[in-house]
Formats: sequence, structure tokens, C-alpha cells
Amino acid sequence: MNALKVLIADDHDIVRKGLRALVEERPGWEVCGEARSGREAVEKTVQLGPDVLIIDVSMPDLNGLDATRQVRRLSPKTEVLIITQHDSDEMAGEVLDAGARGYVLKSDSDRDLANAVEALSHHKPFLTARVTEIFLASRGRGGREPDPVDAVRNRLTMREREILQLLAEGKSAKEVASVLGIAIKTSDTHRTNIMRKLNVHSVAELVRYAIRNKVVEP
Amino acid sequence: MDPETRARIILSDDHSFVRRGLRNILESTDQYEICGEASDGSQTLELAKRLHPDILIIDISMPSPNGLEVARQLHESLPEIKVLILTMHDSAEMLRAAAAAGAFGYLLKSDDERSLVDALQHLKMGQHFVSPAFEPDLAKQLFH
Repeated sequence: MNALKVLIADDHDIVRKGLRALVEERPGWEVCGEARSGREAVEKTVQLGPDVLIIDVSMPDLNGLDATRQVRRLSPKTEVLIITQHDSDEMAGEVLDAGARGYVLKSDSDRDLANAVEALSHHKPFLTARVTEIFLASRGRGGREPDPVDAVRNRLTMREREILQLLAEGKSAKEVASVLGIAIKTSDTHRTNIMRKLNVHSVAELVRYAIRNKVVEP
Repeated sequence: MDPETRARIILSDDHSFVRRGLRNILESTDQYEICGEASDGSQTLELAKRLHPDILIIDISMPSPNGLEVARQLHESLPEIKVLILTMHDSAEMLRAAAAAGAFGYLLKSDDERSLVDALQHLKMGQHFVSPAFEPDLAKQLFH
């Protein structure tokens, strides 16, 4: 029987080591790779085709939720387990909308994490009872109330959201172009479009917008 | 401390995989023995009093009481325990607060494995260690 392939994505060395130790403890599970940023997580998922991706919500370069969206699109067989510091109704909703079917807090136990990976390995979701409640309640109401994060999602394309995050992290249009492998002119054009769509008039305003709408953390 | 002796360490963080990662890194050298783990402040204080470790690695954001308060209390009651703060907080203010609380070292969770090993080596030899992310002058000023 083939080993369960797990890809670990977190920007902290110590956390990656800990997650690796946890996975490697189980016979039949193996860590097929590690990623230190959201972008690397997506690239390695496409390259290595893991069964499960464990990813932190707060990742540099491309946050965990956006990375999840891309992974679910590019590698539908890969189940995503999101780990997060923050437990909130909003976060739970975001995680589900991004396509992750596993959600665990960093303060949850090793056993919870292992159970989450186990469930996902059988393509079963692993959500706490509270998250399930939120999910059911929102569906019962006929959809959630529009919230700020939706505003970003609805107005910007996936590419524009990527660029928004990079700009909000302090990268210049030139650096953005370099990271994404696009021409500087294209990067500039995207920036202009983003600012027009969001009705902001300076990069400082753009950064404030990004923080308010949880594209980056302050 | 004699370089041949293994330093005894207590790990204190409410994230179990951080503790596990630390254990993994430190136990792979032959220099350290993890003698206990705790996931909140009062458990940490109780273990520290019982086990008298050489070093305590503790997160600031710990439940009841937080890491700074634990450092303060240990500095008063068991000052020979060297406290290494391991935290996400990268501000000078927090560094100052840790120094004022009697912490012996300060490391960021975003620091790499090598910095962790470096930090522990320093503490084992009785030297302060502050994350390379901070201005060296500030670090020297606060931890001398």
C-alpha cells in the first residue's frame, strides 16, 4: 500500500520540524516536501502531488487561504488542512470557502492534528463541532452576510489579489514583477487597475486597505 | 557549565508542534536533555520548581500566566534558571519588557534552526543571546 504523502507549509523552521516529527511518527505516512511560503506550497503541490497539504494560514508571499484556493484548483486530489493561531467565526468561514476541509488550531493537541490528517486521507472533512455549526447556520440563512474579505474577493481577480498582497508586504512593482515572472509594465498595469478598482490613490492607502481586509496581517 | 554535561531544559509553549519541533532539534545534538514540557504558565512554574532545569524555553503568549510573568517570578524565586523567551513578538518594546522581567535570552519564532542552536549554546555557557533580527547595539544595551 502506498505511503500517505504529506506536504508541510509553514514559514517557521521550528513548526515545520514539529509537524514533520508528527507525520513521520505514523507508519505509512511520509513527508514528501516542505514549503516556506504560500507560493512555494502551491508550486510543490503541483510538482509532488501530495495527498494532504498542511498549511499555516499566515504565510508570506501568498497567504494560506489564497494558496489553498490555488491548490484546490490545480491539484484537486490534494486535501488541505489549515492550521491557524486564530479561532473566529470569520476565519472558519474563510477556511471553508477556500476549499480546505480540515481546520485545526495551533493550540490543539497532536492527536487532533493526527486525526485531521487521518480523516483527510480518507477524503473526509475534519472540522470542530463549532465550525460545522457555523457552516450549517450560514447555509440555512441562504448565504453569509457580505463581509470585507468578500469585498476584496469579488472585486479583484486572483492575480490582482496576489499582487495586492505583495504590494502590501512592501514590494515595489519591479520586485512584484520579478517574483511573479512578469514584465514590469504588466506589474505596473495591474497595480493601477487594483488601485482603480479599490478606489485608493496611494500605496499607503492600498496597504491600509489590505490590512483592513485581512489580505496581510499588520 | 562543563561542555560535556547535558543541559536540562523545560519546554513551555501552548502549541504542541512547537514543543515537538524544539525537542526534535535539541535532542539531535548530544548537549541537551528535555526534562519536561508545559502548555501553560502555572504548569511551567510548578515544573520549574520541581525539576530545577538549567534552561527554560518559553513563549510569551501563554495562558495563565503569560511567559513574561513566568520569567519575572522565576527571576525572583529561582534566578539560576536561564529563561529563553521564544516568541512571535519582534518589537523593541517587547524585547525591553523581557529584559526587565529577567529573561536571559530572546529568540523569534521566525528565526531559523541555526539561531536556536546558537542561542542554546550561548545560554549553556552562561552568555546572553538575542535574536539576530534585532539591532546588536540594542541587544547589548538590554542584555549585558
